[in-house]
Amino acid sequence: MTERMRESLSALMDGEADELELERVLKQIGEDGELRATWVRYHAVQAVIGKQAVPDLSIDISAGVRDAIAQPATTGSRRWQGLLRPVAGFAVAASVATTVVLGGQQLASLNGSPATAEADVAMGMAPVGLVNSLGATSVRASFGTQSVPVLQPATGTAYSELARQRMQRFAQEHAEQAALNTPQGMLPFARVQRITE
Amino acid sequence: MPRLFPRLPLMTAQARRLSRWLFAVATTTLPAAALAASCPGADPEALKWLDRMSRSSHQAAYHGVVTLQRGEDMQVMQISHSVSGDTTSEQLTKLTGQGARIVREDHPLDCVHTGHRLLQLGAALGAGECGVAEYYRFDVSEGERIAGRQAVRIRVEPLDMYRYGYLMELDRETGLLLKSSTLGRGDLVLERFQFANLSYGSPMPSGADVEVTHEAAHPLPDSAMSTEDLHSGWSVQWLPRGFVLTEADPATRSGRRTFTDGLAAFSVFLEPLSREIRAGEGIAREGSTLSYTRGLSLSDQPVLVTVIGEVPVNTARMVADSVRWAQ
Repeated sequence: MTERMRESLSALMDGEADELELERVLKQIGEDGELRATWVRYHAVQAVIGKQAVPDLSIDISAGVRDAIAQPATTGSRRWQGLLRPVAGFAVAASVATTVVLGGQQLASLNGSPATAEADVAMGMAPVGLVNSLGATSVRASFGTQSVPVLQPATGTAYSELARQRMQRFAQEHAEQAALNTPQGMLPFARVQRITE
Repeated sequence: MPRLFPRLPLMTAQARRLSRWLFAVATTTLPAAALAASCPGADPEALKWLDRMSRSSHQAAYHGVVTLQRGEDMQVMQISHSVSGDTTSEQLTKLTGQGARIVREDHPLDCVHTGHRLLQLGAALGAGECGVAEYYRFDVSEGERIAGRQAVRIRVEPLDMYRYGYLMELDRETGLLLKSSTLGRGDLVLERFQFANLSYGSPMPSGADVEVTHEAAHPLPDSAMSTEDLHSGWSVQWLPRGFVLTEADPATRSGRRTFTDGLAAFSVFLEPLSREIRAGEGIAREGSTLSYTRGLSLSDQPVLVTVIGEVPVNTARMVADSVRWAQ
């Protein structure tokens, strides 16, 4: 692992990596065992320092990361691209960042830090979502009569995680409407990962 | 309004000219209608097909196996749609992944929802109304054979950057949508759904194992958003051209608003927070579905605005930007 890579990884951990650094790390992480080990170590340290609970997510990181890289490559050059470049940049960075957060959590939990009850609550249906992940600190706040944790997002990665949680929570309600108002009939329900009664 | 002339057969030619002039004056005050006067891209044949597609999805009886592909992920499901008397029932059963079934019973045949109303231009077409042709360009050509049926292909290109394009294949005989690809920038396929087999008529025998059955609500599902959390009404101040509310009159305290342009839909969710959070934005994607979440302060009230739907990220961002409390 090069010094440059170590710097990129460090920037990534601090939530300060730019798109190029993200790409550099993600391209390498599949092949470079040392880089992977360092990433695990960084996350373990961060988890200890921040006393962050880590939910156990069984997600294949390297495959997820490869997908994240594969996507921007397929867009090619088209007439809208020049116009939309800044937007596209944001989109790519955000989708990659989400993968990194999940990966980080998994790596940390592999390292022996067990998921706590609080983390289970966090992954559930709290009125205001909570992520104990990269750059996020959890605070307690009262929400009506219930006392629920509230997210204090410190970085863009925390927001990506929030967006992912909102998708899980609201997808079915959106599908109800889409199924009545778009041409594909009931198909929008197939876009919902987990249908609930 | 477009039916005004046929309904008044006794008018003199002069009166007809006058009323036509009044009609023109009246409509130019509406921005949408003003644009309708100049919609050279409107292909009447394509619009006729869309009209047929929209009606057939609701009125025909059919069942079949459908695949939905999003990236590497491929889902297989059974879809059935039956008509009995003046109501329809439909069902979607997932055959892969989660064993879930979604059922909608007793949907009145004459119940046409906002999105379909935008596609069923019917008589309005002749009156210079462009409908969806104001924000999409259509191109009709010979389609391939899908699920054993000969199809008509409609290429749908967005005229602005606030919506995706589509490649649709419709049954040449019935107008039913047999295959549809959602196209992002550079014609990147974000999602593709397609009938693998299709039978018209008899209801489908069902043997699939199901763990969860969800009764799709009609007409209005209750929002998962607790309405007590919202102390005042809110609205979305900016929408891409052609997008309208799916419900004519959403409850002011509801935390959700859904909009459609006939082909795409997105929902806006507003969650008041009890604490300040650092302002920011994030996105998550699955196929053509985007979730865009933004934390901000609306008149000193911290909120999370989330836009979920099959639209590009710039649409979601602009819409989230324009959420305001009602005055």
